[in-house]
Amino acid sequence: MLEGAIFLSYLLLSLALLCALVRLVRGPTLPDRVVALELMASLTVAFIGIYALNNDRPAFLDVAMVLALTAFLTAVGFARYLEKGGHRGDQ
Amino acid sequence: MINDLLVSVMLVAGTFFMFLAGIGVLRMPDLLMRMHATTKAGTLGAGLVMLAVATHFLDAGVTARTLAIILFILLTAPVAAHAIGRAAYFVGVPLWDKMLKDDLKNRYDPDTHILGNPDDDKQP
Amino acid sequence: MSPLSWNLILALIWAAVTGNFSGANLLVGFGLGYLILGFALRDVPDFARYRKKVPRLFLLLGHFLRDLVASNLRVAYDVLTPTHYMRPAVVAVPLRAKTDGAITILANMISLTPGTLSLDVSSDRSVLYLHVMYLDDEADLRRQIHALEDRVLAVLE
Repeated sequence: MLEGAIFLSYLLLSLALLCALVRLVRGPTLPDRVVALELMASLTVAFIGIYALNNDRPAFLDVAMVLALTAFLTAVGFARYLEKGGHRGDQ
Repeated sequence: MINDLLVSVMLVAGTFFMFLAGIGVLRMPDLLMRMHATTKAGTLGAGLVMLAVATHFLDAGVTARTLAIILFILLTAPVAAHAIGRAAYFVGVPLWDKMLKDDLKNRYDPDTHILGNPDDDKQP
Repeated sequence: MSPLSWNLILALIWAAVTGNFSGANLLVGFGLGYLILGFALRDVPDFARYRKKVPRLFLLLGHFLRDLVASNLRVAYDVLTPTHYMRPAVVAVPLRAKTDGAITILANMISLTPGTLSLDVSSDRSVLYLHVMYLDDEADLRRQIHALEDRVLAVLE
C-alpha cells in the first residue's frame, strides 16, 4: 500500500512540476516566472522528502532544508531586483 | 501497519494539494491569484509530506529536521509572496480586468518606494 | 527574568532530573513548569499574565491550523471551478498592531487563511493591503481581520 501511495505521490508531483514548467515558459511577465520557480522549488523539496522516505535515507532531508532556504532567498532576491530597477519589460 | 496507512494518507493528501497548486498556477488569470494557490497549497502540501516523512522514520533527528523545514516554509512562503507582490506593483504587472477594486493602485511612490494609505486622498 | 525563561529553565531542570532530554520529555517538563508557575506565583502580575497567554497561544495555533486546512479546501475549490465566479479585489484594512513581530505574524497568518493574501503594509503602519479572492462584503472582511488581530495581540501584548 505504501508503495502505491509513493508511486501516486511521485505522479502527482510530476504533473504539478509540468504545470509549473508551462507557466515558467509562458510567463507572461517576470514575476509570474518567479512564482512558478518558487513553486517548483517547494515541489522539489517535497520530491526529496518522498525520495528520502522511499529509500530510507534521512540524510537527503538536509538537501531539502537547504533547498527551501535558497529558494526563499532567490524569490526575495528577484523581487528586490525587480523593485530596484533592472529591466522592466519581459521582451 | 497503522503507521504505513497514516504515511500513505498524508503523502497522497500533501501531494494532491501541491498538484492543485500546480493547476492553480497554470489556470488562474493573474499573478496575485496565482500566488494564492502557491502560498497556501504549496505550504500545506510540503508540510504534510514532511509530516509523513517524520511519521515514517519515527526518529528524533529526522523529526527535528522535518519540523525545522515545516516551520521555515510557514514563515517564508507568505514573506516571499509579499516581496513578489510588491515587486509586481513596481513593475506594473497587468492585473485581471475583472478585479472589483484595487486600493493599492498608484499608492507606491515610484522614487522613494514609500507606500501611502487611503487617508492621503482626503488631504488637499 | 521573564516568566517564559523561568518556565524553560524548569523544563530543562525536569529533563536533567529525569535524565532524558528528548523532545517529548522537555514538553512534559514545560507543561509541569507552567502548572507550577501558574499556581505558585499567581499573585505576581507578570506571571498571572503569562498564565493567561499560554492557553491563548494554543488557541491561536488551533485556529491557525483549522484556517490553513480550510483555505486549502477553498483553493482546491477555486482551482477546479471556472474562474468567472471569482470577484478578486485589493482592499486596504486598518491595522492596530504596531510592532514588527505582531505585524509579521498577523500578515503571515492572513496569507495562510482562506481567500486572503497580505500584500504590503503602508509605510506609516496604519493600513494593511490585502488581496481577496471573493469580495462579498467589505465590512465583513474587516471584521474577520479584526478578530484575527485580536487573537494575535492577545498573545503578544
